[in-house]
Amino acid sequence: MGYAIKTEKLIKSYKDKTAVDGLSLTVNEGELIALLGVNGAGKTTTVKMLTCLTKPTEGKAEIMGCDVIKDSEKVKRLVGVSPQDTSVAENLTVKENLEFMADIYLPKDKTASAVEKTIKAFNLDEFKDKKARLLSGGYKRKLSIAMAIIGEPKVLFLDEPTLGLDVLARRQLWREIEELKKNITIVLTTHYMEEAQALADRIVIMNEGKVMAIGTLGQLENMTGKKGLEDVFVSIAEKME
Amino acid sequence: MKRTMAYAKRNLIEVYRDPLSWIFCIAFPIVMLIIMSVVNSSIPKEAGNTMFRIDNLSGGIVVFGQMFIMLFTAIAVAKDRSSTFLTRLYSSPMKSFDFVWGYILPMLLTAVIQAFVSLCAAFVISLISDYSLNIAGLLLTVILSLPSALMFSAIGLIFGTLCNEKAAPGICSVLISLGSMIGGIWFDVEAAGGFMYNLRKCLPFLYATRLARSVIDMNFGVKEFVLPLIVVVAAATVLTLIASIVFNSRMRADQM
Repeated sequence: MGYAIKTEKLIKSYKDKTAVDGLSLTVNEGELIALLGVNGAGKTTTVKMLTCLTKPTEGKAEIMGCDVIKDSEKVKRLVGVSPQDTSVAENLTVKENLEFMADIYLPKDKTASAVEKTIKAFNLDEFKDKKARLLSGGYKRKLSIAMAIIGEPKVLFLDEPTLGLDVLARRQLWREIEELKKNITIVLTTHYMEEAQALADRIVIMNEGKVMAIGTLGQLENMTGKKGLEDVFVSIAEKME
Repeated sequence: MKRTMAYAKRNLIEVYRDPLSWIFCIAFPIVMLIIMSVVNSSIPKEAGNTMFRIDNLSGGIVVFGQMFIMLFTAIAVAKDRSSTFLTRLYSSPMKSFDFVWGYILPMLLTAVIQAFVSLCAAFVISLISDYSLNIAGLLLTVILSLPSALMFSAIGLIFGTLCNEKAAPGICSVLISLGSMIGGIWFDVEAAGGFMYNLRKCLPFLYATRLARSVIDMNFGVKEFVLPLIVVVAAATVLTLIASIVFNSRMRADQM
């Protein structure tokens, strides 16, 4: 199995701040990796660099062997993004939103079947003719993820996918993500410990743009001598202070 | 082109599901047409004022309606830029060309529908007034008003890209007022001198009005038709080019 994502000393600096500071990371194909950290840890900036939404200041990043700067056109065909804000076309129905994204990524003869398949996979049939702005937060988020995967990406980026959702909607979305995990490489950013613990194969703990620890939950527990991700996180965070 | 059409379809749906588009792009020009026709009927013939006569008025209304196309283009672009929807699309294989024409194409279609509906209303008014309009001229105007529709869409795209959601409509409203005045829609700007005279010569609005009026009259003379057509086509081309450059550079800047 090859790697889906590889970064080497990736840096993103703004005038007065370094948002990501020397990120070196390898994500295997089919793996779900969680970027965990408090607000401002550099999770979203990392996703933005890996999805060609912002250019790295220094360092190197590859998606399926394609450089995010030199081969950005290829990278854009390989990735799907569900941003922090749901980012759906509010006046379009669920079906129209999906058709729109399918038209962007897929050949014309594949559009209709991809839309039908995605509606079924995400249980959106009941809402397919409903305008996106009328959906609940949970269904809007579902639609956003469905829009990200309809183009058949190799790597899916989910930026805080359950932010603001209630417990039931969150658990439902976790099940959808578990299903996706079987076929696709996923990078998930979150600041919910239980989410990273429930979904991720490996966890990257970030703080102030730096990677503080990487590993499976077991590895992180061994590293810190603590049980459960929350205690692991607190232990690492206290060491940083 | 497939992505351009997909984005154009999305924008068309967004525009047509917004009731304000119907009010300002379709209903408002017709209301103005009716009001000004009533005003015209109140002007004594001895005054010799033909400004609001239906043949003059209908050409002006076509251009006036297109100014609202400019407003709606600016609002659509500024609104998308303020939401993260556009950012999401920046990570897709869509290029600057797809975005620019994805905004312009639905506005051109709206302009065609708007001109057709306005000119149908003008034709009905002409039947009940004492001045008849040429049907061929009206139909030709729908087609030949496309360059000015492109020009106004491009201006809207420029302001929608450069300004935020609050500023873009404000600036476009100023342009609508200015364009209506120096475009000779509501008064005879050709008779004005001084600053107004120089300003109208420098900007393409009056040429757009002249072009629409000449086609309605089926007057294809050099001064009335050819020169305004050249100016409007040139302005539309240059402004579309500027809109593409501005959008492309803003798109790049957003990704820095």
